[in-house]
Amino acid sequence: MVALSWLRGLVTHRPTRPLATALGVAVGVALIASIGTFLSSTNSKMTHRAIARVSIDWQVEAQPGASPADLLSKVSTFPGVTRALAVQFAGSPSFTATTQGSTQTTGAARVLGLPAGYATAFPGELRLLSGSLSGVLVAQQTASNLHVVPGSTVTIARPGTTPTNVTVAGVVDLPYADSLFQHVGAPPGAQAQAPPDNVLLLPQSTFNQVEAPILAKRPELIKTQIHASLSHALANSPSAAFDDVVSRARNLESRLTGTGLVGDNLGTALDTARQDALYAQILFLFLGVPGAILAGLVTALIASAGADRRRRDSALLRTRGASTRTLVRIALAETVFAGVIGVLAGLGAALLIGKSSFGTASFGAGTVSAVLWALGAAIVGLLIAAGSIALPALRDARSLTVAGQRRQIGRTARGPLWARYGLDFIFLAIAGFIYWQASQNGYQLVLAPEGVAQVSVNWYALLAPVLGWIGAGLLVYRLADLVLSRGRIPLTGALRPLAGELAPTVASTMSRQRRLLSRAVALVALTAAFAGSTSVFNSTYRAQAEADARLSNGADVAVTESPGASVGVAQGIAQLKQIRGVGSVEPLQHRYAYIGADLQDLFGVRPGTITTAGKLQNGWFQGGSAADLMKIIAKDPSAILVSAETVKDYQLHRGDTLNLRLQNGQTKQLTTVPFHYEGVAKEFPTAPKDSFFVANQSYVAAKTGSDAVGSFLVQTDGTNPAVVAKRISSVVGSSAAVTDIVNQRVVVGSNLTAVELSGLTRIELGFALVLAAAATGLALGLGFQERRRTFAIASALGARSRQLGGFVWGESAFVTGGGLVLGAVMAGVLSITLVHVLTGVFDPPPDALSIPWGYLIGVGGAVIATVLLAGIITLRALRRPAIEELRDL
Amino acid sequence: MSEGLPLVRCSGAARTYGKGPTATVALQATYCEVFAGQRIGLVGPSGSGKSTLLHLMAGLDDPTVGDVSWPAIGTRDELRPGRVAVIFQGPSLLPPLTVLENTSLPLVIGGMTDKDAREVAHTALRTLDLDVLADKLPEEISGGQAQRVAVARALAGEPTLILADEPTGQLDRASGAAVVEVLLGASEHAGSALLISTHDMTVAERLPERWEMHSGEIQTDTREAQWSR
Repeated sequence: MVALSWLRGLVTHRPTRPLATALGVAVGVALIASIGTFLSSTNSKMTHRAIARVSIDWQVEAQPGASPADLLSKVSTFPGVTRALAVQFAGSPSFTATTQGSTQTTGAARVLGLPAGYATAFPGELRLLSGSLSGVLVAQQTASNLHVVPGSTVTIARPGTTPTNVTVAGVVDLPYADSLFQHVGAPPGAQAQAPPDNVLLLPQSTFNQVEAPILAKRPELIKTQIHASLSHALANSPSAAFDDVVSRARNLESRLTGTGLVGDNLGTALDTARQDALYAQILFLFLGVPGAILAGLVTALIASAGADRRRRDSALLRTRGASTRTLVRIALAETVFAGVIGVLAGLGAALLIGKSSFGTASFGAGTVSAVLWALGAAIVGLLIAAGSIALPALRDARSLTVAGQRRQIGRTARGPLWARYGLDFIFLAIAGFIYWQASQNGYQLVLAPEGVAQVSVNWYALLAPVLGWIGAGLLVYRLADLVLSRGRIPLTGALRPLAGELAPTVASTMSRQRRLLSRAVALVALTAAFAGSTSVFNSTYRAQAEADARLSNGADVAVTESPGASVGVAQGIAQLKQIRGVGSVEPLQHRYAYIGADLQDLFGVRPGTITTAGKLQNGWFQGGSAADLMKIIAKDPSAILVSAETVKDYQLHRGDTLNLRLQNGQTKQLTTVPFHYEGVAKEFPTAPKDSFFVANQSYVAAKTGSDAVGSFLVQTDGTNPAVVAKRISSVVGSSAAVTDIVNQRVVVGSNLTAVELSGLTRIELGFALVLAAAATGLALGLGFQERRRTFAIASALGARSRQLGGFVWGESAFVTGGGLVLGAVMAGVLSITLVHVLTGVFDPPPDALSIPWGYLIGVGGAVIATVLLAGIITLRALRRPAIEELRDL
Repeated sequence: MSEGLPLVRCSGAARTYGKGPTATVALQATYCEVFAGQRIGLVGPSGSGKSTLLHLMAGLDDPTVGDVSWPAIGTRDELRPGRVAVIFQGPSLLPPLTVLENTSLPLVIGGMTDKDAREVAHTALRTLDLDVLADKLPEEISGGQAQRVAVARALAGEPTLILADEPTGQLDRASGAAVVEVLLGASEHAGSALLISTHDMTVAERLPERWEMHSGEIQTDTREAQWSR
């Protein structure tokens, strides 16, 4: 009853006190619930994206002796299978084609028999580059090797019988060649390193004709696979979807009783997605938990601004006979009030944020998950309220006497327990050690050993940033405390411009309130570090996602000539430069070169311009910066950059001669061209992930008698690349494939991009801004508000606004300046650690941190603005002593 | 009747707190003047308007009706620090400052160097036998000691007008008598006017003049009339 009366009075007469706490609770709850929404949205998007990236969900391979028709029937009728078609695979010793008087013969090749409607049933499996999909199709690289175009004739060698001819109808790209030609049933390590180079895809009827003699004599040489699509009504969570798909695949295999093995492409994709989902959870840990902890600390700081008054109130109640139990009840009533209001406001805010940022107004992927997230967020909110109000009140009620509860300052001769034991140094040392140790192993956070069903997180490695964050926060407290307790003279000097003749008095005041001020400095620093490191991480991630897209596409717009086309440098540049929106055009040669028996891509570049035109990053190379290596290629045209794998496989040393076999543009014969190995290229625009060469374009042209360009890298003049790509497409027609970076961002983005990292960081950055403003402006403002009595006395003693300003601005400058400076240092170190720790998120790894100056200046500005506002409001209120305070004097 | 301009003049000054039906009239329209050298005891029961009148005279509050002026001192901005000192009835020391720093604060505010202000404050504390408490924080001394420090702080600046609101309210009889003695001595020494509000008649009787307040009005003048209507 007393508690209710007290609460009624509090709400009526001092509503700021519980409402400020409720606001802090709301921020914490909204942050956690928003992250729940984020994870829910993310998991669902990851699953859908993983599904969308698979063309053939299952490839069920008939085992020797099995009836393909029976297998097709069983797979087609298996629950969940929406479509199934039988595809046949045969081998060929070689393909041969004669064009323009020269004959080319390939090595071992594969021939596929595709049933009618295959391209429609599995869209994306075949990408038409030229010609038509109706008829015999030839894979792009095969077309290049044989110099064939639609209409050309290819001779298929057949083991044990005479060769046969087919006419090419179209040239296709096989985007999913790796999975299409997988060895079904083999473990990941036993799969072929690369798909076959030479592939012909025949309509089923043609295949039957071509392979009839083989089928009659050696049927074991022809394999049948059932390609199946599944219903994609799967669980939102990648992990649950993975378990579902994998168990269904096993179930099918058991039903097939040894007649078929399932190549589970969908399961493989979902396996990757669940690893990414684990990364998303780690991101939550790194980006979300510190925010929630900060919200709690800021709330505690805001609540502690009214702690003196609360203690005085308690002392008054004690003198009126209130028992400890009554005081506790009163504190609990205030806690519940602030907590419930905060929780409701926080959940409401999270729903709005979720709706606007992720398009979902649910806290979890399913009902149970949503309830758990909402409940978890609510519990955290109530804990924040309890930690801010109930806990200190309980401690005071039990341990302090009436006189003690009246105390406001107290001498703080001894530091806190953790400081006496040097816990900050211990945490930082352990964090440094773990960081160093984990860095030795490349900082693998998500452990997903091949062949192991479970993925796990290396929690030990996570300790480094966690302990670093806590240790740094404590160290900031120690430093601020040190300045206030031991640095009175320099502090007085620093305060003189603000406080004038009152500087020693202001310094004394601050020194005696050093616990409160040190706590505030530490909190501002932690908030600044949170905002800084989150924004730098986000910015670096975005930059690398952009670099990844640029790496894949090569430039704003890439114009890739069709196989067999021979477009010269001058001709191509002249044609493209005429198109509106085109800024610059960089020709990039693309050839195939044999090193020993291996065929690799070779890119001929103009070393003088490619560094800028291709926006080359230093991290893509070894042995020098991008500019250095291009200078070497320019100076020594025979210099060549190779992949690290090639260096290892061929035991190369810098300066070694590398004899490659390239096709001569005139004779179409392979000719040996000598190069000198001068550096390593790990990545290059438009290059594949595995092995490739980068060489001087002029040298390659001179040695092969052809300056034909593989693709043109087009930078726009600022016009949207998608628009420019459309214009180019309309000019070049089907003679070249035109891709733009806008679409490429969507195509190459990893699952983690689907995580809506931008959505998460937008929330984080928004909360960081709110927390930074609250940690400084609100906390200082409320602190000043609670000390109106002190200011009223000073004012009654004759202090002018300017002199009162000395107190206000002195504290504000110390807390804000100290917090921001130390926070910036923390943010720098944390950003480097975060990017290093979460290196698995980045592809390619970044050269340097990308610093979002705009946002950081915005946060700094917001903090300074709220502090100024708090100070100005305080001083305006103090122009005349607060009359209610004077009436108490 | 004192000579010269009054230090403070209330011309129909009244003060009402709040508005509407809940408004409380703390001070009725009041006419009074205090001259240099006057020593007045302002007596009356709790809620009679003594503190309100003192606050108006000290320029800490504005009358809702009428006017308060300081003809011999100047404008409100010129009252403090130095010219008018106020001693409050409640704890009025700044919690984070030591006794010495609290005492020297008005002097520093008035422009004295920190070093000089400390010396003067030390002297004022010694006068009230408080110099042993110089390095204590307000929370480390008793309420009575804090009140005496507040007196020392008021006297340190040698003000022209001392307005003391129940300065002995928290003190035992002996300490209270000692404080009144110090206040009288200081005002006599500096020629300051002294107005002490109190409900303790033994204190009031020590002062040559006595104004009695009741329901926001000055009822009688025990000496000759000091104000004109």
